[in-house]
Amino acid sequence: MTKPIVTCRGVSKTFGSGELVVHALRDVDLNIMQGDFATLAGPSGSGKTTLLNMIGALDKPSSGEVEIDGQPLSGLNKAELSELRLQKIGFVFQAYNLIPVLSAQENIEFVLQLQGVDAAERRKRALEVLAEVGLEGTGHRRPSALSGGQQQRVAVARALVSKPSIVLADEPTANLDSGTSAELVELMSQLNRDLGITFVIGTHDPSVIERSSRHIELLDGRISSDTRI
Amino acid sequence: MSNLKTFTPLAWRNLWRNPRRTVITLIVVSVGLWSILFFNSFINAWGESGKEAVLKLLIGQGQIHAVGYMDDPSIDRLMSPPGEPLVSALNAPEIEAWATRLQLPGVVVSEYKTLPVNVVGVDPEAERLLSSIPDKVVEGRYLKGVEDDGVVLGLHIAERLKTGLGRRVILMSQSTDGSLSEQSFDVVGLFDADKATEDFYAFTGRRAAQNFVGLNDEIAQIVFTIPEVDMLDPIIADLAATAPDLDVRSWKQISLFLATTDTFMQSFIYIWLGVVFSLMAIGIVNTQLMAVFERTHEFGQLRALGMKPRQVLVLVALESTFLIGFGVLIGIVLAAGTIWTLTDGVDLSAFAEGLEMAQAGQILYPEYDIPGFVVLSLIIWVLGILVALWPARRASKLSPVEAMRHAT
Ligand SMILES: Nc1ncnc2c1ncn2[C@@H]1O[C@H](COP(=O)(O)OP(=O)(O)OP(=O)(O)O)[C@@H](O)[C@H]1O
Ligand SMILES: [Mg+2]
Repeated sequence: MTKPIVTCRGVSKTFGSGELVVHALRDVDLNIMQGDFATLAGPSGSGKTTLLNMIGALDKPSSGEVEIDGQPLSGLNKAELSELRLQKIGFVFQAYNLIPVLSAQENIEFVLQLQGVDAAERRKRALEVLAEVGLEGTGHRRPSALSGGQQQRVAVARALVSKPSIVLADEPTANLDSGTSAELVELMSQLNRDLGITFVIGTHDPSVIERSSRHIELLDGRISSDTRI
Repeated sequence: MSNLKTFTPLAWRNLWRNPRRTVITLIVVSVGLWSILFFNSFINAWGESGKEAVLKLLIGQGQIHAVGYMDDPSIDRLMSPPGEPLVSALNAPEIEAWATRLQLPGVVVSEYKTLPVNVVGVDPEAERLLSSIPDKVVEGRYLKGVEDDGVVLGLHIAERLKTGLGRRVILMSQSTDGSLSEQSFDVVGLFDADKATEDFYAFTGRRAAQNFVGLNDEIAQIVFTIPEVDMLDPIIADLAATAPDLDVRSWKQISLFLATTDTFMQSFIYIWLGVVFSLMAIGIVNTQLMAVFERTHEFGQLRALGMKPRQVLVLVALESTFLIGFGVLIGIVLAAGTIWTLTDGVDLSAFAEGLEMAQAGQILYPEYDIPGFVVLSLIIWVLGILVALWPARRASKLSPVEAMRHAT
């Protein structure tokens, strides 16, 4: 917990205009520190996904500034934001994370291909992360031949393989049964402890929140509490 | 470049995600191209057979006249029969056959009517080797020799003159001394060609025609045919060099109409291509837009993973490139197959009446036109990719956040 990986300063986000304007985020200040295993909770519509999108350079704030590894996002164009995501951020979404026509291993390697990593190195790293998420021997399978839990593990593996500064997960366990959810959370928490990977997880799931080392509550687009456990 | 390596396998597999749509696009492209290619070779065959038929009638592939005759085909602009070295040049193996003709503007007179006609004095033996007129005699006979002083008329002019086989007509033309010669001829044969030819020419023996206007052995033209059409230009050049004081021309310089029709047929193909392609474009754009729309969520994720908008464009464009390229290949195979089954000729004699108007032969022989195949296929492929860029641009412009809010 030395330096902030992501800094949000006075971040607000509104959608629409006039009568229909929605304040998804209001003046949010937040630092995500190296090694955080943070959960982001709050009622539906409180702004969890919107905040994760800001942190992940997927969207720009209406006002305020977001910095990733000290780099302000405001001056970057679409291609530069893509490059930044490619190098620094891993994503795990709720479902349908994987490219259906590629095998698990190819899905993982795809990100490395975008990064320009050569074939031998790609293969080596893909097999490594597959082992780390407990999926040795299933790399050749297409997503449709994997269970929901396995698919999320592959997604985690893909998020890790590019050696990002931070992994963002939006409701990663929402489509999993409780047993599988618990396993996935255990995996992420272990990766956080053993490899020092920083996670921010948007979730309602108490079993996830239970495991976190930092818990942030959102209400109506504002941070209502931010506690370290 | 590394983009291509990364996206090619992905694009290829994406093609088969929605087999139904892929097949529809393949059908649209391949049937469209098939129709273009087949039409191309059919039109070519049509033009070719029409041209062949017309050339075979009287024109030949080339003719030689005295200088000035083509502008003013009068009795003052005749030439002597060919001597050496022209005869040797004409007897060369690359010339199939040649004949000399005397041709005189004149009129033909029956008891009922006087009509303008070209009196053609021919050498029947030579004529049989290069003209189809002798075979088109349907009543009576063709001429027997250069001395034959019978006349062979077209069916149509005979009907208009109310004359017929065994009757006599009077031919009139300007003679060498400027006076009007007239002489009666027996109608010995009637030929059946198109109406224009039937009305335009009356045939008699060359010697008989010369006697009729008081000529010794002067002729109006030498006509020749060649077996190798590609050799025409060098042969013309050769003959022109051999006979520098004569006017040597290819059929293209004689029948401007035919030469223009040739060009017209070519542009017709491109009109057809335009029509077919417009329909194809609608099909391609529709299916590809649908494909992009269905995968909105996925494109959002690809963008989130770090793919740049341009890379998404490349990915989708590659998919179209494969898809349309595949359709083009199928179209080529279909067209080649169709033409192959028709190389023995398409018999159009059932429509012969109509074809006489279009001046086409009765049997068409579609042929492989390899450069045409390549050019037309490439045009369709490239245009197809260009229209498919529109859906690809749509995909690349999706914002990742919006795209992922889109239900999968
Ligand atoms: N693109 C958008 N256009 C319009 N409104 C939006 C858009 N994205 C989010 N919102 C609105 O912003 C608010 C915050 O949405 P957000 O998705 O961040 O909530 P959330 O906390 O993730 O909710 P949930 O738990 O349901 O996922 C909501 O009122 C939502 O309707
Ligand atoms: Mg959400």
